[in-house]
Amino acid sequence: MAESMFIDLHTHSVSSDDSRAPVEQYVKWIGMLRRKGFTIDGFVLTEHRKFDYDKDYSRLSEENDVLIMKGSELDTNMGHFLVYGVTEALTDAVDFSNVTMDAMELVRAAEEHNAIAFPAHPGRFGIGLCEFTDSGADFSVIRAAEGLNGSNRPGEQERAEELIRLLGVPATGGSDAHLVSAIAKCMTSFDGQVLNETDLVRELRSGNFGPVRLDDTL
Amino acid sequence: MTTEDTEIKFDRSLLGVENDIGEYPVTKEMIVKFARSTGERNPLYYDDEAGSESEYGSVIAPPTFCNMFVSGITRPDIKLEFGEVSLFAGQAIESVSPVRPGDTLSAKTKLKEVYAKTGRSGKMVFQVWETNFANQDGDTVALVQESYVKRNRRPR
Repeated sequence: MAESMFIDLHTHSVSSDDSRAPVEQYVKWIGMLRRKGFTIDGFVLTEHRKFDYDKDYSRLSEENDVLIMKGSELDTNMGHFLVYGVTEALTDAVDFSNVTMDAMELVRAAEEHNAIAFPAHPGRFGIGLCEFTDSGADFSVIRAAEGLNGSNRPGEQERAEELIRLLGVPATGGSDAHLVSAIAKCMTSFDGQVLNETDLVRELRSGNFGPVRLDDTL
Repeated sequence: MTTEDTEIKFDRSLLGVENDIGEYPVTKEMIVKFARSTGERNPLYYDDEAGSESEYGSVIAPPTFCNMFVSGITRPDIKLEFGEVSLFAGQAIESVSPVRPGDTLSAKTKLKEVYAKTGRSGKMVFQVWETNFANQDGDTVALVQESYVKRNRRPR
C-alpha cells in the first residue's frame, strides 16, 4: 500500500499583502522539519485575492524535492474561499479581486472550469462560513471545507468542526501560514498521488483525504 | 458573478501621479545619529576609515535611513468614501543603493494602489503609497512603501 502524501493546502508568501514569508524560506524550513523526522511533501501557495501566473517555482521545487503548487484564497460575500486548479478561463470568468463576489457562484464557476473552491477556516469569526449559515444560501454545492487551520483562534476550530459535520463534507487541513515558522503546522493527507494542480483537484474532488497536524506525520 | 459594492470610491486621478515632497541633504552627523538611535553597531555607519576600506569607499547610511524622512510628509487627500477609522497598516523599505554623507536626496511619492479586503473586523480598504528617494545623480537609493487602512467601527 502506498504511503500517504502530506500537503499544506493553505499558505501565503510575500506575494500576499499580509505576509513577509519568502517561498525560498518556506522550503528551507521544510528541510529543517524533515531532518527532525516530519513528513511534508509540499505546499500550495494560496495568495489573497489573486493568482500568480507570473511566479514559477518549478526549479526551487525540483532542487529541494518539495512540491510547490499555486492556488488562491478569495474574499466572498460568505467569507474566504480556497480555490485550486486555477486557469485563465476561471480568472476570466471570476474577478478574483472582488471581495463581495457570490460564494456559491464561485463554487459553481470553479466546478465548470475543472477547479474546486471551498470555504477556508469556516469557523473563523467575521470571515468564516459559520457567520453566514442564516443567509438562506444553498450550501449543497460545497464539496469540502477546511477542517484544520493553523491560524484558528480559540473557539474557531470547534465552530468549523460543527459546521463541517452539518455540511457532511470531507475536511482538509492547512497552516494558513503567513510566517515561515508556521508552515506545515496543519496539512492534508492524500492517499492518491498528487504531483501537480490537476492531480490535486482530482484528489480533492474524490473526497479521499483528511486533515492532519504536523505531529501526526512523525 | 455578483459585483455589488466592488467599486471603491476615491479620486482615481491620483493613481500613479508623482508628487514632489522635498529635498534632503545628508550629513555624516545625521547618519551617525540615525545609526545610534536604531542600535546599529557596524563601523561602516560611523567610522571614516572603516568606510574607506569597505567596498563602498566611504561611510554609508543604514538601509532604513530614508524612513526618517517619510514620517512628516503630507500627501494628497484621495477622497476615499469608505470607513470611519483610519490606521497605519505597515511599511516596507527597499534599499536600492548606498546613501552617503554629502548626498542630496530628492523624494517623490505616488499612490500605488487602493484595494479592499475582508478580515475578522469586516471590510477594509487599503491605500498604498510608494516614495522614491533618488540622489543628486538621479539614482534611486530607496523605495519606501507605506500602507494605510480604513474600516468601519465595530458594532458594540
